[in-house]
Amino acid sequence: MNPLTLSIFIMSLGLGTTITFSSSHWLLAWMGLEINTLAITPLMIKQQHPRAVEATTKYFLTQAAASALLLFASMTNAWMTGQWSILEMENMTAITLITLALALKLGVAPMHFWLPEVLQGLDLKTGLILSTWQKLAPFIILIQMAPALNPNIMISLAIISTLIGGWGGLNQTQLRKILAYSSIAHLGWMIIILHYSPNIAMLNLVLYLVITSTIFLLFNLTNSTTINSISMTTTKNPIISILIMMTLLSLGGLPPLTGFMPKWLILQELAYQELFLVATIMAMTTLLSLFFYLRLTYSTTLTMTPNSMNMMSSWLTKKNLKPIIPLLFPLTTMLLPLTPMLYFSLQ
Amino acid sequence: MIYFVMLMLMCFIIGLVGVASNPSPYFAAFGLVMSAAIGCGLLASHGTSFLSFVLFLIYLGGMLVVFVYSAALTAEPYPESWLDWPVLVNVMMYLLGVGVGVYYFFGEWNMMHWMGVDELNNFSLWRGDLSGTSLMYSDGIMLLFLAGWVLLLTLFVVLELIRGLGRGALRVV
Repeated sequence: MNPLTLSIFIMSLGLGTTITFSSSHWLLAWMGLEINTLAITPLMIKQQHPRAVEATTKYFLTQAAASALLLFASMTNAWMTGQWSILEMENMTAITLITLALALKLGVAPMHFWLPEVLQGLDLKTGLILSTWQKLAPFIILIQMAPALNPNIMISLAIISTLIGGWGGLNQTQLRKILAYSSIAHLGWMIIILHYSPNIAMLNLVLYLVITSTIFLLFNLTNSTTINSISMTTTKNPIISILIMMTLLSLGGLPPLTGFMPKWLILQELAYQELFLVATIMAMTTLLSLFFYLRLTYSTTLTMTPNSMNMMSSWLTKKNLKPIIPLLFPLTTMLLPLTPMLYFSLQ
Repeated sequence: MIYFVMLMLMCFIIGLVGVASNPSPYFAAFGLVMSAAIGCGLLASHGTSFLSFVLFLIYLGGMLVVFVYSAALTAEPYPESWLDWPVLVNVMMYLLGVGVGVYYFFGEWNMMHWMGVDELNNFSLWRGDLSGTSLMYSDGIMLLFLAGWVLLLTLFVVLELIRGLGRGALRVV
């Protein structure tokens, strides 16, 4: 792609999210989301591969449907209440429709079916943009209207998301599909806490973005797209296999790592709200996710050279470590001691 | 007037059902033309005559012509119309769905609100959409600039999507 065209698309991608961030008016927020969708389409189709075209088409249709629903709901709100503000939603029909439209945009179950298929059709860098930057704008709108959201709908969506996110990833061998299901499960954790404490949801979003960026960049570094191919990581670069293991465990939320922090805070907040059953269900369904993270960890680090290796070795391509990975990896693994600072500065 | 609006609303729904029930592209294009035109008529009957005029020109001038031509690319000798059995099942299901939706939501959603955007419009010199359009050129200049940028971006996106003769996303199948 022409660098000038590419820069226009990337700048518009930033512009769309910025407009959505800074708007308190539904029409501008909708415009920002549309700019986002439009600007990422050529980036997704960049390779002209039939799978990429299919993924782009699916993504565009889904996002267009979600945007139309969002516009319809916000116009209903304006019609009934006479104002366009995001912060002061009153009409329950509009709130429910907007919740579902944004859930469709984010890929929250039961509106998640497009996400694994779209992510599977893209390369890892575009997948990184899709699962980090594209989540920001819809999620910020959800956070802005958090007090008005219906808690029953949010809890239902969240429990279904963590369940489907864990369940769907169990039988996958493709890393991008596993990452898509991991994204669905994490979104479930974010939206369960959204109504009760938007700050913790925001913290969870930021930490999820950091951890998932690390894992996407590491997989991109080793050219891994299947479970079989990450078994070869040790032969390519032993240190990278350790990094992948730690990042996966952090994604799964094991205690000494960063990924444990949002789960801890969310379970604590749910206990304060006396939602003990919901907290228990969330913790149990996340074990399903932990299973496939552990399976990835096993094939990354425990199938090392003293054992016999069951996979074909691939062609070694020299790739340099990106300077962003050493920045992101400490954040991915070692932020847990900073929990008091991050938590209380959000209060 | 309200009977006329009611008739147009019904034709609008029927046109959309005609598109969504998955007939051959010829008939789907016809349904889309019908519902687009009637949608503009609905907008005009609600008081935004200028907006519906612009929308009508854009629909028929641009999008639908392209759509009809690209539908003509996928020519088939025996096109499925709405009376063929698989399409008819879809039509019935969609109409039933619309009926159920109307039954549940009609009263609370828009029973009382079939009025124009600005009521008592006989007394006002500027209609809502016209004054809004002129506002885009004075106070809302940044919004106009943004909309222009989005149109330019759309041009780039379309050019990038259809680029590359045999490898592009759009080609004759």
